[in-house]
Amino acid sequence: MTQNPEYAIEVTNLTRRYKGFAAVDDISFTVRKGEVFALLGPNGAGKTTTVEIINTIRKPTSGKVTLLGMDVTQKKYKIIPRIGVLPQGFSTFDRITVKETLQYYSRLFCNPNTDINGLIALVNLQDKVKVQYRNLSGGLKQRLGIAVALVNDPEVVFLDEPTTGLDPRARREVWKVLLGLKKKGKTLFLTTHYMEEAELLADTVAIVAKGKITAMGSPGELIENNANYLVAMLKSVDENVFEIVRNMGLAPAYDSQGHIKVRLTHTEDVRRLLNTVKDSGASFAGLDVRKPNLEEVFLKLTDEPLAQGFVRIKGAE
Amino acid sequence: MKLHILHANIIYANIIVSIKSFYREKTVVFFRLAFPVILILVFGTIFMERDNEIFDLSIQDLDRTPSSEQLVEAIRLSKRFTITKVSPAVDAKTYAKTHKRNLIVIIPKDFEMSMMQKMESDTFGTPVSLNQLYDPSAFGVTTKLGVLDMVLAGINQEMSGKPPLIVSEPISILKKKYRFIEFFVPGIIAMAVMTASLFGAVNVNAELRQKGVIRKLFTTPITRIDWILSNVLYQFILAVLSTAVMLLVSYVVFSVSLEINAWLVVFIALDVFSFVGLGMILTRVAKEAESASAAADALMFPMMFLSGTFFPVEMMPEFLQKFARVLPLYYVNEGLRAAMVSVDHAAALKCALTIGAFAAVVFVLGSMITTLGGEST
Ligand SMILES: Nc1ncnc2c1ncn2[C@@H]1O[C@H](COP(=O)(O)OP(=O)(O)OP(=O)(O)O)[C@@H](O)[C@H]1O
Ligand SMILES: [Mg+2]
Repeated sequence: MTQNPEYAIEVTNLTRRYKGFAAVDDISFTVRKGEVFALLGPNGAGKTTTVEIINTIRKPTSGKVTLLGMDVTQKKYKIIPRIGVLPQGFSTFDRITVKETLQYYSRLFCNPNTDINGLIALVNLQDKVKVQYRNLSGGLKQRLGIAVALVNDPEVVFLDEPTTGLDPRARREVWKVLLGLKKKGKTLFLTTHYMEEAELLADTVAIVAKGKITAMGSPGELIENNANYLVAMLKSVDENVFEIVRNMGLAPAYDSQGHIKVRLTHTEDVRRLLNTVKDSGASFAGLDVRKPNLEEVFLKLTDEPLAQGFVRIKGAE
Repeated sequence: MKLHILHANIIYANIIVSIKSFYREKTVVFFRLAFPVILILVFGTIFMERDNEIFDLSIQDLDRTPSSEQLVEAIRLSKRFTITKVSPAVDAKTYAKTHKRNLIVIIPKDFEMSMMQKMESDTFGTPVSLNQLYDPSAFGVTTKLGVLDMVLAGINQEMSGKPPLIVSEPISILKKKYRFIEFFVPGIIAMAVMTASLFGAVNVNAELRQKGVIRKLFTTPITRIDWILSNVLYQFILAVLSTAVMLLVSYVVFSVSLEINAWLVVFIALDVFSFVGLGMILTRVAKEAESASAAADALMFPMMFLSGTFFPVEMMPEFLQKFARVLPLYYVNEGLRAAMVSVDHAAALKCALTIGAFAAVVFVLGSMITTLGGEST
């Protein structure tokens, strides 16, 4: 399976331990050339560790990783010129302007032909060319970081949490840039906390939790294969309903609108739920039952309650 | 791997960015360029006044003849004294006490007569004498007497029209006479270059590391050697610039006479290498940025005061002098003074070899333990 020219990245049984603790625990996957691949997982899942091993700046404890057909532990200086990296929490020299920053990184790659103005236009920073890095907003800094990752016209681009900490508008701006790169046929390796981001951008999503890949596939496949349950939503303002549902042995949670959400594994559960609530005499405005979306699949796969995820998504928006 | 150790264009890019970052941060520019200059101006002014001090001098003229008045006028013309005339009617000793004078020159009553006789006979008999009444315990009175002797010697010579047979030349341990400011300026150069290099290596790198800039750099083709050389070269360029400013001010304001030769460049370079190297070691050994800069302070302050930056090491007690000889800054100070003040090439070479060996050791050690990335495994 190694050295297949179709693959940009091949990871085989990769493990990385920190003093015995396995941050990345025996994972394997491949990324095709031209594919957008997303590692989706909560804090501490091992995303950054995985990305940084693939892009040669950390060492694996065991396992084999090839990037563009080269072993990442052997060929750092051959690999680096062919990849671009937006590290998590990208930062650069405070008092250097947007244009100078791009000139600087393009010099580091000994790449005199970099189309600096083209890159500036790509990330839509034309108005900020002469602004120093320290005076850019968070979203603009991140876009500059993406442009910097592209100065050497890389074949594979790694983006570690490109939209974390940005407001919804800034996030959408970044997505626009990334969709543009996808259209150009670049191989993108992305990590994120956000399902919508993975769903929107990625061809393949790998869900990671505690150093392991718990599910992998296209967003559609992930839903298909893991949505073997239903999500019921009770529209109710009656506080007793929550207790009643919990007493049925289910795990209810409030969503952002104050509705009660609950996972149901069997179709009969729908009837049971409806009857129990009705019989209790509690008031409720309606019951919605549907298949889970990627977001809900993600929460299930990372072993988190539905509500916690919703609170976080809301906070992030 | 061998081909990827050092890239001139990467080093160039780093230096450009460092220099831009430097001049866009005004407080850094101030501390780097203006602060040493201010030190030179302040200390230079204080010591310049000592060099050209004008003394108070009381003269009691008991003779009151044209000759005695001429003598007083001649002393006045030397411009080294402000003269107060003491009435011949008072007792000089009592006057000195009541008016707190530490020196009164008394022109004796027969001054003009003795002078006449002396001129006619034209022999080397006993000279005409003046009486000096002075308080030997008073501070600075010996200097004053010395200056007075020099002035009188000049007057003697003019009156006799003959060159003096013997002159006393002040002989210092150095080949030529130098002023304090000329001792001071090389010390400030050495110190300014040391502090900037050490702080640059410790603080700038700690800041870039903490902010994640180094992490990004590690994903580019830049190597450890590129990074270290960029730092050293940048520090060297700034050191040369800052030295040029210090020297320019010293020449313009104090008209110092300091030699400028290749040694100056050699010692600046060795100063930079030594302290950037030391800074790299501290950064690695101390781990946290704060403890590294505290350690840098702890090294710098004793070095400033004990290695002859502000005053000659010879002024310190013996054991401190011994201690000074293990401080690297001492050899930069001594070397720069050998090069610029006494122009003693052999002495400069000796210092250059000592500090050069030190620089080589710490710099190589520092380079070996510095890491660019987050990991060494
Ligand atoms: N250098 C290190 N030393 C020790 N433990 C580490 C180190 N780097 C990461 N870890 C641990 O490994 C685990 C995975 O970290 P990693 O940064 O890869 O997670 P992540 O998925 O990127 O998280 P986040 O979403 O917060 O960025 C965490 O528990 C982290 O504490
Ligand atoms: Mg991370």
